[in-house]
Amino acid sequence: MNNNESLRKMVHDARAPLNRISMNAELVKLVLENDMPKQKALEALNKIIANCQQCSEHLQEISDAHAAD
Amino acid sequence: MLNVLLVDDDSEFSDVVCHIVEFLGHNINTAANLAEAEQWFENNTFDHVFLDFMLPDGSGLHLLEHLKAIGQSPRVTLISGHPSVKGKLAEMCEPNVGHLVKPLQREDIERVLNPKKAAPKKKATPAIKRHFGTLIGESEVMQKLYTMIERVAATSANVMLMGESGAGKEVVAQAIHNATDCDGPLVATNCGAFSKELIGSELFGHEKGAFTGAIARKEGVFEQAAGGTLFLDEVTEMPIDMQPNLLRVLESKKVTRVGGTKEQAVNCRVISATNRTLTDLAQNNVIREDIYFRLAVFPIDIPPLRERKEDIPLLANAFLEQLNEENGTDFKWQAAQIKELEAHDWPGNVRELRHAIHRAFIMSDPKGSVITLPDSLESPFSKVNKESQANQVVAGQTIEEVEKELIHATLDKVQGNKTIAAQMLGISTKTLYNRLNAYGGIGEYK
Repeated sequence: MNNNESLRKMVHDARAPLNRISMNAELVKLVLENDMPKQKALEALNKIIANCQQCSEHLQEISDAHAAD
Repeated sequence: MLNVLLVDDDSEFSDVVCHIVEFLGHNINTAANLAEAEQWFENNTFDHVFLDFMLPDGSGLHLLEHLKAIGQSPRVTLISGHPSVKGKLAEMCEPNVGHLVKPLQREDIERVLNPKKAAPKKKATPAIKRHFGTLIGESEVMQKLYTMIERVAATSANVMLMGESGAGKEVVAQAIHNATDCDGPLVATNCGAFSKELIGSELFGHEKGAFTGAIARKEGVFEQAAGGTLFLDEVTEMPIDMQPNLLRVLESKKVTRVGGTKEQAVNCRVISATNRTLTDLAQNNVIREDIYFRLAVFPIDIPPLRERKEDIPLLANAFLEQLNEENGTDFKWQAAQIKELEAHDWPGNVRELRHAIHRAFIMSDPKGSVITLPDSLESPFSKVNKESQANQVVAGQTIEEVEKELIHATLDKVQGNKTIAAQMLGISTKTLYNRLNAYGGIGEYK
């Protein structure tokens, strides 16, 4: 795999947790706007926090790969 | 309602999209790869497919080919992590296939599922502000009310709400509770609805076996509202001989369950409400003076709707918006209709306005977007109120003024027929003419 392709793959992987963060945040908005059970919002917020961590790990991976080049 | 299939190998993402799509009122199923998706299509048809571009067993484009082969043509939205896919799609020239780039937003999903409806939603009018999460209105009288709520919320003082029926006493109680920094719940109870025998048990609770039928221990409303707010609606309708019991709790801040011996500490704010005026309270002996001063440490007057007519457009929009949301409709007010609502006096206050809008909503053609107001906004109660208000005699009026009012009211009732009016008034027709002339001519009663 050349460098460009490898970078593209890593960015693609980092986008997946971002996508989950975005949708879970939308779910929290729905819960708050519509007076739905608080538990749902809490679960979504926990997922957001976990995915932030994952996203950070992916970014670190990209940074490390860049430093190695 | 659409049948939607989501094809994506990210189960957490699929899970949350399911919640959102279901909330938007559609059916949704999921597939984690191409094989599962193809299986769904064996026995089902879908209106819309959300399709991940990169799947574990191949590209999403393979599913498009499969759909062509089996002769199905749902709308497809490809989801990809890279904008370059858009170029590839353009090459394919597929009119039924759209494209979204990750990360997705709810509006994206809404737009592709409902292209017509989602568009105007974006430019929707800014949300109507609900003060303390409940109260709508920006008029001067309401601003004063908000200041009072803010001030009293910072204390633990008991509040008495006074206002006409329908003015929103329970909503204001909720607003005070929301503005108060407390952990307990808001417990609402109607003192006018208690039977004399059960009032003690309702307010203070009872122990098992305290009286026939007390098969279990019961917490009273004071205990239920621990650490929160107790709302005593129609407090002036509580039988006066029961009021000393309430006074004892308010003074000692302790409550003893019926049939019990142990005192429990009470730590809730008491908000009481009445639709009687201060004069009424003083004259008609409906509440003991000592109780009044305990309950009305901080009395708040809730303004009737006719004193804040500038809030009618805001309220009308908020009520219609809510009905639209509940029923999936898109009705809108016309300027003339809002003017008509503003012109009415609303003796039943916000409750009457809300009911009138609900009635108009039901009457309106569900296919259109224009709401149909009834020919007359009067309710049976508003007519009675108007008549009784019109006929009220106020101290300070001269006999001549009262006489004039009585004659005009009688003539109005009989559509200006002076012979019948004179009979009803117990005077001769000639005297009636003389009186009318004395008041400045027969005028409208010719």
